[in-house]
Amino acid sequence: MRTHHATLLLGALAAIVWCTTGTSAHHAFAAEFDSTKPIKLRGTVVKMEWINPHTWLHLDVKRPDGKTERWMIEGGPPNALYRRGFSQKSLPVGAELVVEGFRAKDGSLKGNGRELTFADGRRLFVGSSGTGAPRDGKD
Amino acid sequence: MTNWRFVGGLLVAAAIGTLVAAQQPATGGWAPPKTPWGDPDLQGVWRYEASVPLERPAQFAGRASLTDEEVARNQKLEDEQAAQRLAGAEGAAVGRRSVGESPIRGNEYNSFWQDHGRPRQVYKQTSLVVDPADGRIPYTPDAKKADARASARYGAGPYESFLDPDTGERCLTDGVTALMWQGPNGGHNRIVQSQGYVTILHEEYLDRRIIPVDGRQASGIRQWFGNAVARWEGSTLVVETANFVDRTNYEWATIFMRPSETLRLVERFTRTGATTMDYRITVEDPATFARAWTAQIPITRLPDETLIYEYACHEGNYAMPNLLAGGRIDAAKRQR
Repeated sequence: MRTHHATLLLGALAAIVWCTTGTSAHHAFAAEFDSTKPIKLRGTVVKMEWINPHTWLHLDVKRPDGKTERWMIEGGPPNALYRRGFSQKSLPVGAELVVEGFRAKDGSLKGNGRELTFADGRRLFVGSSGTGAPRDGKD
Repeated sequence: MTNWRFVGGLLVAAAIGTLVAAQQPATGGWAPPKTPWGDPDLQGVWRYEASVPLERPAQFAGRASLTDEEVARNQKLEDEQAAQRLAGAEGAAVGRRSVGESPIRGNEYNSFWQDHGRPRQVYKQTSLVVDPADGRIPYTPDAKKADARASARYGAGPYESFLDPDTGERCLTDGVTALMWQGPNGGHNRIVQSQGYVTILHEEYLDRRIIPVDGRQASGIRQWFGNAVARWEGSTLVVETANFVDRTNYEWATIFMRPSETLRLVERFTRTGATTMDYRITVEDPATFARAWTAQIPITRLPDETLIYEYACHEGNYAMPNLLAGGRIDAAKRQR
């Protein structure tokens, strides 16, 4: 049994090494966002900015006191999201959704998107940002 | 005596011919299509679709190839991932990967950079670097330190000014060396040929190279991308690039990409089938490497309908102010 576990572990390690393609990347998560400040926002889509190297989703979030905050959520690069099936219709203006991610280090109303959930329960992966994003099982 | 010299010359020529032939990629008798003016036709959108590491991981030391069992395991992994992609309910959700599949520096989030919904290819190579034989980049001791420094500050800063992010983060370029196999969006490259020219458009940053193939000498003007000239050797396009500007004082995500005035690249593009290309690059630069090194990279031709998309990286890019704002927070914390 121990051998079996060891084999599994070695296999997993080999898979990790195998898939570690040296590559450059982009704006690193840890530089902009705080992995100790996870956010979960319920709001409505205001607009989606399809800009490089990251998309930005703007959404209005109603606070408990009734006031509305406008948040900006960073997503993956538009070309990669588009090639994976994300389109202009994926996030229509006014759509209600829940965004999970991590807040900007400077405390502004910005965050790094991890996953979106629509009102009907459909989930959409938005790609989050670069190096240092915490391992939270949603990757 | 003259005859012996002649025979000796023939033997040397034959030996060199054998060596050259041994370095040529196997085409299996497949001949590439020709352009209307008779050059081998390399046109289309090409992409590196495997996940072979650039340098050989320690666990594969002494082995240039995987065993059949290891190949089968990796194929199974890829098949499972492909099935997960297909099972996804919503487009962008397709392709989410496991932590173990993280392609970048232990960072699981970044898998989508490498993924545009197509299955990855499995190869026997244990590293893209095939020379030196140990599959490792032969950095000079100083360059090794510089590379360690670049790795340590990647994503961590300090970010005191716009000069501190690496050239990729600054939307400048990630350099010519890795252009054909790297790029957050999967390294899409469109090759277009016209009579006397080969043009390569790399999607990220819309980096482009217009390479004369008309016998001219390289210009002496130094540029970020150097001066490239090309020639045909049979069906292989050989591109030689030199005359780079020195940008070793910039921050680079990875040191092997950085240009200096002594950088010299020789690239060999050989189509080996309708959708396959053997791409090899030899990198020589005494400013960074103790000797020349060569990487052999299998790249794939994507379907005809594949498009290269716009990649304006600066307009509306919030990343720089966010990086610097994050840097100020970090600096304040350090002071406290």
